[in-house]
Amino acid sequence: MTAAVEIVDVGKTFGDVAALEQINLQVQDNEFVSLLGASGCGKSTLLRIVAGFEYSSRGRVIIHGEDVTSLPPHLRPTNLVFQRGALFPHMNVFDNIGYSLKLRRWSKPRIAGRVAEMLALVRMEGLGSRNAAELSGGQIQRVALARALAAEPKVLLLDEPLSALDLKLRQQMQLELRAIQRSLGATFIFVTHDQTEALVMSDKIAIMNQGRIVQFATPREIYRRPSSMYVSDFIGQTNFLKGIVVSSAIGVTTLDVGDGEQVMGESAPVLATGAAGILSVRPESIRIVSAEQCADRSATISARIIEIVYLGSSVRVGSVTPANVIIWADLRDAEARDMTIGMEVKLSWSLTAATIWAGGGARD
Amino acid sequence: MRANRLLARGFVLLVLLYLYAPIFVIVLFSFTTSPRLGIPIEGLSLRWYASAWSNPLMVTALRNSMVLAMVSALAASVLGAAFAFGVVRLKRPRDRQLLLGAGLLPAVVPLLVIGISLAVVFQAIGIRQGLLNAAVGHVLVCLPFVILTMNARLENFDFTVIEAARDLGATPFRAFLDITFPLVRQSVIGAALLAAALSLDEFVVTWFTAGNQQTVPVLVWGLMRRGIDPSINAIATMLLAALVCLVFASNRFGRKTAP
Repeated sequence: MTAAVEIVDVGKTFGDVAALEQINLQVQDNEFVSLLGASGCGKSTLLRIVAGFEYSSRGRVIIHGEDVTSLPPHLRPTNLVFQRGALFPHMNVFDNIGYSLKLRRWSKPRIAGRVAEMLALVRMEGLGSRNAAELSGGQIQRVALARALAAEPKVLLLDEPLSALDLKLRQQMQLELRAIQRSLGATFIFVTHDQTEALVMSDKIAIMNQGRIVQFATPREIYRRPSSMYVSDFIGQTNFLKGIVVSSAIGVTTLDVGDGEQVMGESAPVLATGAAGILSVRPESIRIVSAEQCADRSATISARIIEIVYLGSSVRVGSVTPANVIIWADLRDAEARDMTIGMEVKLSWSLTAATIWAGGGARD
Repeated sequence: MRANRLLARGFVLLVLLYLYAPIFVIVLFSFTTSPRLGIPIEGLSLRWYASAWSNPLMVTALRNSMVLAMVSALAASVLGAAFAFGVVRLKRPRDRQLLLGAGLLPAVVPLLVIGISLAVVFQAIGIRQGLLNAAVGHVLVCLPFVILTMNARLENFDFTVIEAARDLGATPFRAFLDITFPLVRQSVIGAALLAAALSLDEFVVTWFTAGNQQTVPVLVWGLMRRGIDPSINAIATMLLAALVCLVFASNRFGRKTAP
């Protein structure tokens, strides 16, 4: 099976600045792939290279087996949904959606049929005669989506199309977009800086940092098995504990985090004893027990509660270790009922929930 | 306090009077029966308009002025719009600033200098004075104003709509026809009308370049040398009406940026 989109060794430099290092990415047919990263990581540049608005300095872009690297945008089998819609302000909704079909010289009735189909898809039936200027933010993005899909692109590209919408609408549109992608069986490449959005919508996420893809995997894998500390820090909330490696075997490392406290976690490579290491553990993986209740010392660390934040469905508890590191734990409401600020506690987690990385310096 | 406010009002009134009294006088006296400017007015008539139109020179001058205005409107708006487009699309703000400044600078060069230099240049390359030379001069004089108008429009132009058109399958030319031009058309028309107004009223550069061809302002100047003839008032009033209409229309078009 050939991939829907193959990005091979693509690099891009603006003057002396490298926006993209060697990028390799394969997107399968019918897949929803997100390019996720902080602003300036190169995700939009990569999308624009696929769309044809930027030419790569090196490498090739192949869509369904056809090398499109040097094709201009109007000859590519891709369509782009722009960040702010980019609807044609002098046309109504119908003419916006039908524009690509008019360019293809479709007959009027055929265009009308296709536009009606698209309007139904984005749930805007009967609004074809609206002016582009009269639409709300959500409607603008629906029309932009319908317009891009009308041309039946082999690959739909989306450049942060939901970022201008308010939270409620954004969450609703995320699910809708996902449903539309599934019902069409289309290939979507979606650029976003919002990790939640990427987790919610994607089959696979490519996390980008400084012009590179640092991990390309399913949302679960990325959340559970981040390939680097950068990814671990970028996706979701993570606690970090610095220490010195006491012992390290295949898969398991023990870290001395000061004051005689030792913590354990998984590690991919075997780390040298005496080297610096950092343990990362997610807030929801941490359990808090009172100091007296705890017998097993190896999987725990002592701490004192300094903050309790009630979030409704959960409670976020901040505790400070003897080495003055704040660790956040997400507990269920019932678990946190008896906790008070100043309480001496033990924090514990299962071995598989913690990862130990080599190095003691910066988080990236 | 009250005295202060009265004084302020009086001052504003005086300035307005200073600005508009001469214009009012010329319009008023273009409609009087008497050939002398004097109060009280003996009666109202259109005889000076009839006399202005009966002058065969006036008809030629008007024709020349119209030709120049049209050429200026067309050429300046096309050239100026293209220039503004090129400048706005530049990536570096410094380059934009520099080129825009260069495009606007001729607006503050004294018309006398422009007129003399054009005359000298045309003579050097052996083109005899005439309407063509005047047209070149008029376009030059109008260009900075067109560039300014178009730049104002394009600064808040969303260029992603052009990318959207390209993305949906339009060639660069098709995207221009379907998207870019309709979106800036109003501003281009506004700029063209402004250019026509500037051209209609232009005297200095015309005088140095048009040779023995006369435009309305040049004709008026000629008539003035033979003494004040009330038909001049009529011509001036008609010119005023034409300019007010053009500038008004130009503003209406120019300000109506597409939604």
